[in-house]
Amino acid sequence: MDSSNPVDIIHLENVNKFFGTFQALKNINLTVRKGERVVVCGPSGSCKSTLIRCINRLEEHNSGTITVNGHELTDDVKNIDAVRREVGMVFQDFNLFPHMTVVKNLMLAPKLVRKASRSEAYETAMRYLERVKIPEQADKYPSQLSGGQQQRVAIARALCMNPMVMLFDEPTSALDPEMIAEVLDVMTDLAREGMTMICVTHEMGFARSVADNVVFMDEGEIVEMNPPREFFDNPKSERTRLFLSQVLSY
Amino acid sequence: MDALDGWWDDYFWGSVVVAEVFVVALILTILFGLIGAAAKLSGNRAAKAIASGYTVVFRGTPEILVLLLIYFGSAITLTAIAQIFDPEIKFVDLPPFWAGSFAIALIVGSYATETFRGAFLGVAPGQVEAARALGLSKLQTFVHVRIPAMWRLALPPFGNHMLSLIKDTALIAIIGLEETLFVAAQAIGTTNKPFTMYIVVGAIYLGFSTIITLAVMALEKYANRHLEIAR
Amino acid sequence: MSFDMALILDSIPKMLMGIGLTLQLLFLSAALGLALAIILLLMRISGRWYLAAPTMAYIYIFRGTPILVQIFIIYYGLPQLEFVRDSIFWPILREPFGCAILALTLNTAAYVSEILRGGVLGVDRGLKEAGAALGLRAPHRFIYITTPIAIRLALPAYSNDVISLMKSTALASTITLLDMTGIARTIVAETYAPYEIFISLMAIYLILTWMIQRSFGWVEKRMSRHVREEV
Repeated sequence: MDSSNPVDIIHLENVNKFFGTFQALKNINLTVRKGERVVVCGPSGSCKSTLIRCINRLEEHNSGTITVNGHELTDDVKNIDAVRREVGMVFQDFNLFPHMTVVKNLMLAPKLVRKASRSEAYETAMRYLERVKIPEQADKYPSQLSGGQQQRVAIARALCMNPMVMLFDEPTSALDPEMIAEVLDVMTDLAREGMTMICVTHEMGFARSVADNVVFMDEGEIVEMNPPREFFDNPKSERTRLFLSQVLSY
Repeated sequence: MDALDGWWDDYFWGSVVVAEVFVVALILTILFGLIGAAAKLSGNRAAKAIASGYTVVFRGTPEILVLLLIYFGSAITLTAIAQIFDPEIKFVDLPPFWAGSFAIALIVGSYATETFRGAFLGVAPGQVEAARALGLSKLQTFVHVRIPAMWRLALPPFGNHMLSLIKDTALIAIIGLEETLFVAAQAIGTTNKPFTMYIVVGAIYLGFSTIITLAVMALEKYANRHLEIAR
Repeated sequence: MSFDMALILDSIPKMLMGIGLTLQLLFLSAALGLALAIILLLMRISGRWYLAAPTMAYIYIFRGTPILVQIFIIYYGLPQLEFVRDSIFWPILREPFGCAILALTLNTAAYVSEILRGGVLGVDRGLKEAGAALGLRAPHRFIYITTPIAIRLALPAYSNDVISLMKSTALASTITLLDMTGIARTIVAETYAPYEIFISLMAIYLILTWMIQRSFGWVEKRMSRHVREEV
């Protein structure tokens, strides 16, 4: 596939990544089209997170090319900035700024990066807080919210930058079971509205109902990538079958 | 550096005095710290109150005042006692070595009290419960579970206490202990080279601090050997 | 031997005449020391070895030697050097007050810079990554995320250092300054009543310590509104 294809937003070609001598990513090839929803799953230690952290350069890849919306990720700070403006990210531990109220968390990046005025930033922030259904928490501090609420704030914070792509790094793994649904609901809504997203998660129900493609990673390799029906009902690889039997057995 | 000729011996013996004070004060510091921590952790209200008073006073007042109080205070008391037996006696004092060691150990011991207390409380309750659940007696739990966990927690702050101790030994020159700072003052009297003479003192103390730091690092490495990644 | 109440009541006002000097030494060197500490911190974390290495040496030297030795090197030692006597700083350095401020500033800066560095290193990496993922550049991340969180993390240790600094101001009395301790020593030399004088002065210092702790406690409380209230 050609990286200049206008509907391809993310394009990874032969990407390798090492931590010292340990190879975290092995020859990764992945293309994500505009509006596509990709779920990445795999056993722990399969470096799924490393993969998506390379896409906004929280990790540097060692070889291969990563292109996001036409910007190739290199040492060039300009390109990195351009990519990060277009790519929103949600972390496992929320990573809300603890010293700022919820609304200030949402206003920070639009003001500093998009040079939005205070009132513009505030309006955007409130709009997205309503969308994740917690506008009444705007003036609280993150530590005063439940985990599920914090993660919804984190999603809203990323959306305030109006990104083209959203990366989710195990967004429900740090949550108590009863709070997982409220976060998955927000993510499902987002998917329905056509947001391009890559989501590392163990929520197989979410993958089945929302994903266009499910990627299975093991030991730094993409073992298999298929639409959910195919992926769950007819896994090609033995490793995928083993993984699915383990996560779906309870 | 000709000015230093003939003074190296004196600096050496001054350093020996520093090391002696350090060792004596270190033993006393550990003693005061353990007594203070035990008192604070005890159920006895009077003991708790006395220990709290001790840590508040000695952590909140200048070191030099504590030193002067103990040296001149003990001198006036000893002189008064001696005069009961022999009115001819004019002045009796605790030797600066002992008064000084005692004073700096009292000061640093007040910090050690908090360190030891924190280390005792810092041992995960689950470990102690697990040991008790396995049938270990209270004493066995203390010896085999609490103490090994405690000294790991106490070591890094206690390393800092040792550095405070070695630096506080310099104060004892004020009451006339013949350590390096005292040697320098004498040397300046004949050579008139104050910068040179005091820089030597600084270098000696830097040497002592370095030795202590390295020793603590080695101990910490030993203490945390269970955290090393298996190869 | 009795406790002379009249002498205490007579001496406290005299010693309090020195509180102005004690507080000047404290506030001036705390402010200058903080400024220097920030410069040292930025050099240390700049990632450039030619800035970081001298900073590390500075911190190592000033934390590894007694403050009393530093005061003596500056007050008694520097005049030995001709270029110091010829420099524009000579009017400051020939005065004990200027020397005390310089020594206390240089000393506290070394400690405070390490405290601040501890705060900066304590900031959760995930928060900085979140800032990066939102498109914030490094200077913005440092100003809006790292700095405010680091200040909150460093505040308790910093308040302890201000108390240490307050205690160190008493050493100014060793270079002829008549701060509270200097006055107390003069009175004791005249009256030979160390218990009365030194214990009352320790009480005054304890009040100062308490006031410093309360002020920082108030600031900490204001700054940690974001921490979840106890449920």
